[in-house]
Amino acid sequence: MSNLAILPIIIPMLSGIIVAFTNRNVRLTRILTKFFSLISLAVAAYVTYTVFTDGAIILETGDWAAPYGIIMVADKLSILLILTTNFIATAAAFYAPNSLTMQQERHYFYTFYFLLIAGVSGAFLTGDLFNLFVFFEVLLMASYALIVLGGERVQLRESIKYVLINLFSSMLFVTCVALLYGVVGTVNMAQIAERVAEVDQKGVLTTIGVLLFFVFGTKAALFPLYYWLPRPYIVPNPVVSALFGALLTKVGIYSILRVFSLIFVHKMEITHEAFIWIAGLSMLFGVIGALSTNNIKLIIAYNIIPAIGFIIMGIGVFNVDGLSGSVYYLIHDMIIKSALFLLVGVIAYVAGTSDLRKMKGLIHHYPLLGWLLFIAAFILAGIPPFSGFIGKLLLLRGALSADEIAITIIGLLSSLLILYSVMKIFIRGFWGEKDDSKNYSKKASLGLVLPVVFLLTISVLLGIGAEYIYPSIEGIAEYLLDPQIYIDSVLKE
Amino acid sequence: MIFAVLIPLVLALFVPLLSKLKAKVHTGIFVVFIPLGIFLYFLSFIGSDFKAVRHVYHWIPSLGINFDFYLDGLSLLFVLLISGIGTLVVFYSIYYLHVSENLGHFYVYLLMFMSAMLGVVLSDNVFVLYTFWELTSISSFLLIGFWHHRERSRYGAQKSMLITVFGGLSMLGGLLLLTVITDTTSIRAMIEHVDMILNSQYLPLIMVLILLGAFTKSAQFPFHIWLPDAMEAPTPVSAYLHSATMVKAGIYLVARFSPIFAAYEWFFIVVSIVGLLTLIWASYMAVRQTDLKGILAFSTVSQLGMIMAMLGFGTGPAVFAAVFHILNHATFKGGLFMVAGIIDHETGTRDIRKLGGLLTFMPMSATLALFGTFSMAGVPLPFLNGFYSKEAFFKSAVELNEASGGLASFLTTAIPYLAVFGSIFTFVYSMYFFFGVFTGPKKLTLLPKKPHEAPIGMLLSPIVLVAGVIVIGLFPKLVNGTLLIHAAQAVNSAAEYHKIKFWHGFDEPALIMSLIVVAIGIILFLTIKKWSKIYHVLPGKLSFNKVYDKIIEKTDAYASKITNSYMTGSLKLYMSIILGTIIVATFIIMFMTGGFDINVDDLADVELVDLAVVFIMVLAAVATIFVNNKLALIIITGIVGFGISILFVIFRAPDLALTQLVVETVSMALFLLAYYHLPELRKRNEPLRATTLNTILAVGVGTLITMVGISAHSSDWFDSISDYFVENSYYLGGGHNIVNVILVDMRGLDTLFEITVLGIAALAIYGLIKVRKNKEAE
Amino acid sequence: MEIIILILSGILFATAIYNLLQKQLLRIIIGTVLLSHGAHLVILTMGKLKGGQPPILDDSVTNYTDPLPQALILTSIVISFGITSLLLVLSYRTAKENKTDNMEEMRGESNE
Repeated sequence: MSNLAILPIIIPMLSGIIVAFTNRNVRLTRILTKFFSLISLAVAAYVTYTVFTDGAIILETGDWAAPYGIIMVADKLSILLILTTNFIATAAAFYAPNSLTMQQERHYFYTFYFLLIAGVSGAFLTGDLFNLFVFFEVLLMASYALIVLGGERVQLRESIKYVLINLFSSMLFVTCVALLYGVVGTVNMAQIAERVAEVDQKGVLTTIGVLLFFVFGTKAALFPLYYWLPRPYIVPNPVVSALFGALLTKVGIYSILRVFSLIFVHKMEITHEAFIWIAGLSMLFGVIGALSTNNIKLIIAYNIIPAIGFIIMGIGVFNVDGLSGSVYYLIHDMIIKSALFLLVGVIAYVAGTSDLRKMKGLIHHYPLLGWLLFIAAFILAGIPPFSGFIGKLLLLRGALSADEIAITIIGLLSSLLILYSVMKIFIRGFWGEKDDSKNYSKKASLGLVLPVVFLLTISVLLGIGAEYIYPSIEGIAEYLLDPQIYIDSVLKE
Repeated sequence: MIFAVLIPLVLALFVPLLSKLKAKVHTGIFVVFIPLGIFLYFLSFIGSDFKAVRHVYHWIPSLGINFDFYLDGLSLLFVLLISGIGTLVVFYSIYYLHVSENLGHFYVYLLMFMSAMLGVVLSDNVFVLYTFWELTSISSFLLIGFWHHRERSRYGAQKSMLITVFGGLSMLGGLLLLTVITDTTSIRAMIEHVDMILNSQYLPLIMVLILLGAFTKSAQFPFHIWLPDAMEAPTPVSAYLHSATMVKAGIYLVARFSPIFAAYEWFFIVVSIVGLLTLIWASYMAVRQTDLKGILAFSTVSQLGMIMAMLGFGTGPAVFAAVFHILNHATFKGGLFMVAGIIDHETGTRDIRKLGGLLTFMPMSATLALFGTFSMAGVPLPFLNGFYSKEAFFKSAVELNEASGGLASFLTTAIPYLAVFGSIFTFVYSMYFFFGVFTGPKKLTLLPKKPHEAPIGMLLSPIVLVAGVIVIGLFPKLVNGTLLIHAAQAVNSAAEYHKIKFWHGFDEPALIMSLIVVAIGIILFLTIKKWSKIYHVLPGKLSFNKVYDKIIEKTDAYASKITNSYMTGSLKLYMSIILGTIIVATFIIMFMTGGFDINVDDLADVELVDLAVVFIMVLAAVATIFVNNKLALIIITGIVGFGISILFVIFRAPDLALTQLVVETVSMALFLLAYYHLPELRKRNEPLRATTLNTILAVGVGTLITMVGISAHSSDWFDSISDYFVENSYYLGGGHNIVNVILVDMRGLDTLFEITVLGIAALAIYGLIKVRKNKEAE
Repeated sequence: MEIIILILSGILFATAIYNLLQKQLLRIIIGTVLLSHGAHLVILTMGKLKGGQPPILDDSVTNYTDPLPQALILTSIVISFGITSLLLVLSYRTAKENKTDNMEEMRGESNE
């Protein structure tokens, strides 16, 4: 049964290959894509169910025993993230045909899309540091392909910056893997953890750990490494932005969560204490960025940064509340960010501009979009009873029980500013007199709106139904606090 | 009880349908039964033998978040106000809002608010309380923005949202601290553990955070600025949310948490000072207003300040006076707002400068306003409830003598004077409102509409409220023993039952204070013209509105400034910041943890050939920086690449050497293609500063890699897992070439996805080229 | 020898970074190429250099060099190659569309 663990990677990968061959027939490709994405979601749900009932699945690929072969670890954390990824992917699959141009669809959008999902799933699942690098490359390469799709001037300009920054961090990544191998003689994460613990994370290991943190931090867009993020995220099609916003930075932060709860946990007074500072600065600079612009897509893109700040704050606090808050917030943010990117995509499409100064009174024409944005803003800002609140509550409680007052206050303040930054769109763009000077003939078709509704519904349920989810998340946090469980389950000692 | 709280919210979902189906019938006619039913339900609890009731419904028990509804005296007072005034307001709105308005939305917001407000005053669970608290802010935001085509409505809505959500979030901070300290989410349990809270180092912070929530919601100085702008909402909303109920949520919060903070002296100081300051400042500001609703808004602020101050005093009589005034204020102010709405509705303006002499046209409204304003002013007449609570306020102010010394004791002496001072203005604006509108010269030409009395339906709600003013004034017993005493005792168990009397005798200081207020008030009102200059000079630049506007303006401006200063779109800048951070942080960590280590025992020997290759590579690498010819650059880079292949040979890695050779050759071909398309290299004429910075960053990274590399190489504590591959490559993998076996078998997954990467790259390149072709074809 | 190679990779990293910080696209791409060379040398050094014979099994040999880094480098070389190719085409297209190969002229407007 342990082969189940590879399915979330293999299904999207094969789907990607299949749709590459049907690219001439766009209609067929669309149907196949929807079909495969639903299958992938169903399988992810099934694997999640299995993991939650029978415990983590450890797959030794090619039957090569750990730590020699590549190990896939489908534990509760990774599988929950994969399930979330698949929810988003499904929404994207249904949104994409309504948003993309025919040319983009022909130029292998769907293939890149599936391979991106495969890469993301792989990154969540793998228990091997070098293999993590490979999956990073898969998802990055797919993201390079997606970001340039369409080949507009602005798009190319921003893509090349995006590619270069990521290329640099990838090279640093592979160097770090090598350095770590040089010290501990292995690339299996469980064994690395074991060996690092054995020498009490001596100086050189902490140094490599910090370098690795910067690698992931660049991908996760943490302060002060996030500068590359906002602009490239808004140039491609909204569906691509949504996938990026929901998945790419989250893979980075997931890697930090994994590595700094499993391997580098012996010098917390240095590493994790710094995380809290970084968290605060990410929140502040992120919201400042979100307030700085009138471009509605950019507002959402900047909002990625404070969210990452919240997540890393929980990792920095490193207690049950903090970690469960991080995990909850991670899942919440993946969903709400994708919903928001898709939503502002529709708004910009119907309004014919993404400049807030050129919008007013949209609610007279598009009431549904307005109310969706309204709800999304409150979900994002963590107003109860929605999902953001539960995560934030846990995070802040964790911070307070660790006597971190300053970060709590920054967290609360940035919540206000996050709300303000998104409500600005509602107040200025949707409220106001009916704008008769413009011809609002474009329709926000169901195909564009339903995926957003779907994601927002999940988000609302994540908040209201927290009782059904939180105990599992708390279990994950306790599991993360005890790396030995992971090590033992992989190395079977 | 959960039904009473949630029914409005649930039924709100059906309102839009209703308003669509029955477009001709006013939606309000259906809606009015909802608050009425709730009112009657809660009315059944009232009585002298009232006992608190508790109902618990689980929501997220694992986080301690449950619908833990607790109906005690204080809550009962509030739920009756919410549902009672709610009924009247909905009824009033049937006449006030025309069927052509977006009634569906209006009643959805209103019902949402009703649920939220009931939830706030009934929840014993702090997080549920917070949830409902924010919901009141949200519904208030939507109601203020009901006429969002008006610029002022949008402004007011945004302002109220920012200020109240700010307060809500800081309150959340305070509540979180309380839960962390006491390990419970129930307010009553917190009160039981009050010594844990009082001994906590965070006590001052908790108090400040919670009070911020209360002060913003109840529009206390200097957060009062949102309330006057909230008057952009339709008048029924102003009467309901922004006078009778929502703005009292802050009062409720302070009352609810009083048992926790009662023993903390700063609580007395802060709440009393802020309350009195609000009372004085807002009553002074009210006199300046020209908009009827503006006067009422500031008057509400000042009355809230007065109630807040009484809660700050915290003594039994003060708390009793506070709850009494909560009730009274709701009656007379609710009535006055509705009258203001009637005047607006029937004359077309609310500008007091255009109004005057309406007594003859609107005798009924005038009568209602007369009772309302005189009650508000605290005129000593036995049928005005406002007088009783005002007198109780004075009495409690005078009787404060418990403080031991310092600031608190100074405050106790000052309070009676401040109370009188603030009340004088209250008197003045009350008179200003009544006489300015209903007496004096008629200015019919200035009015957009010919004034006439409102229909009886519209008058009915204010009549009920004003009747309340009189009934409570004449028969205080009706509410005293049945409701008020329970409410007061919920706040301060020391509160005792007092008979509310009109006449206490001449030696009663409170009476003298009342008389002083009336006397000076009359003088000030009669000479109001002479003072108008002062009214218009102050506050001028001191206005907190301007501070708010500046903050908003500057927030956006500074945000843009800060962000644009580094988000320049310059790759070089982004890279420099990232690199700089990595270098500095990693070096610091390396030296902090003693991460550098060098061990020269176990090194491979160096041969001359090796050195020669390395030397050439270094030369070539450095040369890439200096050449200004693109062909040369590509060739030099090629030299480095081929150098690597040779090193692979030297270091016994034949597979690598071959691969590198092939890849390098193909790359060269690609580069030459690019050479053909990309422009010639330009001479760099960068300023020295830029070159220096580049050099520092480059050398920094290089040094870092070398140093960490040497340390990593020198820290040889473990055996590599490679031995396993050497041993098992043939037996388990069936191949002699270990590297190949690793690639295709042990780490086959890497290889599979490495090929995937190549595949994606190929498709992406195809897409890029194809797009160009298509574009050229166009 | 290891230390010499590590210094060499340090120099490769340094020159790579210096090139990455330039304005012209071609120089930047050359920078990325040097970067991957540097990284590969680091990987190689992390096994023992010249620690034995090439890792091809032979009955007469008992001591082999560490095969794992070699496998990792192979994977990495191929990936780098893919990225470099994409980058080249991308930069050519970018330069063409934006009519410049100077990254500093490709900053973009705010609120675009």
